[in-house]
Amino acid sequence: MIKINNASISFKEKPALSNLSLEVKPGEILGLLGANGAGKSTTINMLLGFLKSGEGDVSINQLDCYDERAQVRRLVGYIPENVNLYPYLSGEENLDYFCKISGIEYASSELKNFLEKCGLPLKDHSKKISEYSKGMRQKVGIAIAYAKKAKVYLLDEPSSGLDPMASNELTILLKELAKEGASILMASHDIFRVREVCDRIGILKQGKLMKELKSKAITANQLEKLYLNFMKD
Amino acid sequence: MWQIIKNEWSSFYRDRVLLGVFSSFLILLSITVSLGSIHVEHQNTHHASSSEHIRDKWENIQEMNPHSAAHYGTYVFKPTTLLSGLDDGVSNITGNVLKVEGHVQNEIVHSEASQSQAVSKFGKLKSALLLQYIVPIFLIFLSFQTINGEKLSGRLKLLIAQGASSSKIIFSKALSVWVIGLMLLLVTVFMYLLLNLGAINYDTILRLSFFIISYSLYYFIIAFLTTLLSISFNNTSTALTSMLAVWVVWTIFLPNILMSTVESQHELPSRDIFKSNMKEDRSKGIDGHSPSSDRLVALREKVLKDYGVDSLSQLSINFRGIVMQEDEEYGNKVWDKHFGNLRTVLKNQKKSYQLGGIINPFIALQNTSKGFAASDNLHHQDFLVQVENYRRVFVRTLNNKDAYGGSKTGERGWKADNAFFKSVPDFVFKPLKIMKVFKDYVFDLAILIIWVLVITLLLINKSKRIPIV
Repeated sequence: MIKINNASISFKEKPALSNLSLEVKPGEILGLLGANGAGKSTTINMLLGFLKSGEGDVSINQLDCYDERAQVRRLVGYIPENVNLYPYLSGEENLDYFCKISGIEYASSELKNFLEKCGLPLKDHSKKISEYSKGMRQKVGIAIAYAKKAKVYLLDEPSSGLDPMASNELTILLKELAKEGASILMASHDIFRVREVCDRIGILKQGKLMKELKSKAITANQLEKLYLNFMKD
Repeated sequence: MWQIIKNEWSSFYRDRVLLGVFSSFLILLSITVSLGSIHVEHQNTHHASSSEHIRDKWENIQEMNPHSAAHYGTYVFKPTTLLSGLDDGVSNITGNVLKVEGHVQNEIVHSEASQSQAVSKFGKLKSALLLQYIVPIFLIFLSFQTINGEKLSGRLKLLIAQGASSSKIIFSKALSVWVIGLMLLLVTVFMYLLLNLGAINYDTILRLSFFIISYSLYYFIIAFLTTLLSISFNNTSTALTSMLAVWVVWTIFLPNILMSTVESQHELPSRDIFKSNMKEDRSKGIDGHSPSSDRLVALREKVLKDYGVDSLSQLSINFRGIVMQEDEEYGNKVWDKHFGNLRTVLKNQKKSYQLGGIINPFIALQNTSKGFAASDNLHHQDFLVQVENYRRVFVRTLNNKDAYGGSKTGERGWKADNAFFKSVPDFVFKPLKIMKVFKDYVFDLAILIIWVLVITLLLINKSKRIPIV
């Protein structure tokens, strides 16, 4: 479970996050919407233990994200906007390498299962990453987090640059992961994808959580209007 | 850690450019190793045949007056040490032939450089040239790329988020580059061993071990310092430029600046002054060819008294031989005084230059490389001392024959026979033992180890605080 209570971060005295509070329970997907510089990536970096909150509490499964970052990182699957893998390795080899980095060793058949589960067909497993599209790399990135048996997924702009089909596959996959009990925090500026994937949506502006709402309670058009209104002010 | 190192090597192996550069280095090193080995073999063959020829000429003297034979003299050739094929140090410029004769201590002549058509600023193409100058540049580019590639692509963040510690990633990457340098070094040494299998002995193995240790430590410093700089600067080109600047300062500027400083601090007399001082001191001794000298008169009185006779013509021995040996003994004292001073200055220069390793580990590497390859000035000075000691035995044997061999004073036409000339010992070179050399270079090794420790500590400290976002 992700819990942020009253967190604030400043860069060179300029606030990047101000009194941010949010919670993502197991089985829940929270989408963070916001323009560039709104604090989405800062929130994820704070949860990964790369940044320390000046005040408040930031925890994952009751572990302090900064002070206990080594333990926290064992629980977290992180998927960046651009999953830059090793181009000279195949998808399976990349998955194998990243699993070994986190201390887990799988048989080839298990690695293939993870990749297929994340939507990468068998014929692509042995292709070099340099031949992969962005969507395919994203799937390997998700497989890396999935194979880690992550309890928490942190996704930073995961659908950016994906074609509609790959984006749809990502939606299905994230929903499945949530069904399996994972807590998922997804930062994006793709209003429609966030509404489709997430259970709840938070709108961030200049490091402040301006609004939090349930995605079922609002249509995509209403969400867009609301979002644009916040951005105008 | 092992996984990261394996992955680095895998990336290296699959990168055609890097593999091409690595292969080119292997080919170049193979060429230099082969050339070095051929050169040593050629020098040794030439040395053996020349020595044999000179000895043959000496042993074929049928009859000659011993004093004339002392002027006739013989030649000693500086042996080429086996490992000078890897690093020829100062051998190229110090000369390799020395005439041994009575009355004078000649200078060693016929350096390779003096007979070379093409003189390179960096010396001959020996493995040491590549191992000291070129391989470190390759390691700089590799180390720089390995960390910056991960930083710029965002993989460093992904790896850390995956659970790897930043220190572990950074150390593994630096180690993987270091091992590539080690591979180039070990291949070079192994090839050299293979090409000279018949000549390898325990001493050579020990020398090679210290040679390998010195380069291993230096490559560690290069790989880890580059890594340290690449994570210390946000701007990648600044990091690379800084490390290249360090390389230029270490290898080109500092050795010259420090050597000039050391030379002015411990100044050697100019060649002319040295020679005139020697000549002046030498003139105060007995002049064997001038019977009016005071010292000669005193010696004559002493010998006459010892033999209980009144005049030289009554002596049963040849007084000239005694005079010549007395003259030699005096000349030896003059040589010991002046060359002793010279060697003291050279030793002080060496000690001060070694201190330069504290700010420049390249100096420590150069010292140990030529020291353990037996091609440094220390080995050269040892050779000169051995030759001078031989010259003294050689001339004394001839003077004693002249004095006590059967001739009487004034018998200028008396000649020793062939059996005597055959009995005069030949020069036998005794190579310096490794433990003596080790004592002289333990300071440089210690400096390299301290550099390794300091850079490791700095990297541990910095890698914990590396900004990931």
